[in-house]
Amino acid sequence: MSTGENVAEAVEIEQLSRTYQRKRDEQPRLALDHVELRIQSGEVHGLLGPNGAGKTTLCKILSTVLLPTSGTVRVAGHDVVTETDAVRRLIGIAFGGERGLYTRLTARQNLMYWSALYRQSSREARTRVGSLLHRVGLADRADERVETFSRGMKQRLHLARALVGDPRVLILDEPTVGMDPVAARDFRVLVGELRTEGRTILITTHDMAEAEAVCDRVSLIDGGRLVATEDPRTIGRWLSAYERITAEVVGSDLADRLQQLPGVAAVRTEGPGRVIVETDAEGACAEVLRVLVGAGVTSISTGRPTLEDVYLKVVGDRGLVVR
Amino acid sequence: MRLFWASARFQALKLRHSLDDLMVLVTLPLFTIAFMAIVTEAGRFDLAPYAVVGTGIMAIWSIALFVSGEIIDSERWNGTLDATVAAPASLATIVLGRIAVVTLISLFGLAESAFAAWAVFGVWVQVHHVGVFLLTLACTFFAMVGTAMIMSGFFVLARSAVQFQNSMSYPFYVLGGVFVPVAVLPGWLQPVSKVVFLSWAADLLRDCLQPAPVTQVLLRLGIILLLGAVAMAIGYVLIRRVLHRVRHQGTVSFT
Repeated sequence: MSTGENVAEAVEIEQLSRTYQRKRDEQPRLALDHVELRIQSGEVHGLLGPNGAGKTTLCKILSTVLLPTSGTVRVAGHDVVTETDAVRRLIGIAFGGERGLYTRLTARQNLMYWSALYRQSSREARTRVGSLLHRVGLADRADERVETFSRGMKQRLHLARALVGDPRVLILDEPTVGMDPVAARDFRVLVGELRTEGRTILITTHDMAEAEAVCDRVSLIDGGRLVATEDPRTIGRWLSAYERITAEVVGSDLADRLQQLPGVAAVRTEGPGRVIVETDAEGACAEVLRVLVGAGVTSISTGRPTLEDVYLKVVGDRGLVVR
Repeated sequence: MRLFWASARFQALKLRHSLDDLMVLVTLPLFTIAFMAIVTEAGRFDLAPYAVVGTGIMAIWSIALFVSGEIIDSERWNGTLDATVAAPASLATIVLGRIAVVTLISLFGLAESAFAAWAVFGVWVQVHHVGVFLLTLACTFFAMVGTAMIMSGFFVLARSAVQFQNSMSYPFYVLGGVFVPVAVLPGWLQPVSKVVFLSWAADLLRDCLQPAPVTQVLLRLGIILLLGAVAMAIGYVLIRRVLHRVRHQGTVSFT
């Protein structure tokens, strides 16, 4: 792994703001708004947010591709604006999507080129590239053109490219987009291995299950502001009041009674006799269960909120609107 | 230097898989034939070097404009510039290595032109001063690489690079004395031609194809090198500035 000062905080972000203004007469658009975030060395940190929330902007600033408008960002103690070369030696970044690769070249040729950019000798690069291709499961397709790869395979190649410089801090922007479930599971295993190696990892994702599975902490970001940073399970507990009760064979009268109970936020009917009750106050769940059992309903289930529920509650459900 | 060679190797690989980038070398013989037809129809076989050198230089310049000049911009469109910028490597050196390979390949345009003149019209353009000719080619290569560095930086800044690319061909063929010697251009235009390295290179290359001794070789080669060095220095600074600008604007890549 790339050497660097052994600082406890791999990433320190203070009062980071970034605005975009394409034309002089255009109103500046705020992409990041006074973001404060600290990521410990060896931590796997998830950045969750909808499209346009500012996740990729943050990744680009961390990787020195984009300059901040104000505030400071340090990677392993090095400022991303004034010590770019030091930062670049410590980081690896994988931008998601189909682009970002030389599709007419083979996977091996792509990685050999990127190795040279990290000042590796040909012999060192050959060894490292071979091992990375094996690690991401592309060894058998190493000498085929990237344009013949599926989206998931391209994602794996992105990941290998990010690892080519043996980075201490790994930034993964939507790393599992396009991966099939098996590849996504393998990816999680790989993230676990990378964590064991002591690397700090920042992952942006829409996938709540992925964040819960691999992250030590999760930050919710929306409209350029960091809404919360917590352990994914802690965030889940925040909304323990927001429980969901599903019951079968419930008549409309009973559904109306449930709606009148204190602490019941909503009662939705899904199909004949199936209702979903959402509560928003502690103790409300117990009261709903008592009424249901008292009415003779026996097919009942309750559920803890998933990270997705939390995400929707904290960020808000605004459909497909991009701010 | 390792980065330079790695970038050069990479560009060679890339060109092998993107032969469409070298389309100019496919159409070049047609230009040679057109100019040679004019020369032979007029019975001026002594002007054959003008047709051969002229069309050869046209190919070198066109490839610089449309391939070397687009190196940074095509990385932006491909989405690979982000990762390149995030790597601990000088973008200007990467571009330099890549342009060097493109320019080296474009020099084959001269040989191709000479071959086309011989194959179609039976006119063999002989190199009478091989040493000077090779030295001139080397200096032309250096100056073209430097000039292409400016192009690659400039085309990122230009909102409509294609317009610039199209409009930077024929005016430079005139200013560079590619077909018509600078000496016969209007007097007010000649000082401008003197700062275009092509004019010195084209004159020297043509002189090497004549039996008469080539005069002021070192001075003329020195001027080509000087103009090339100035262009390379400007290119380096421009690429650094451009990089800072796109990082500031958030336009390193187009999403």
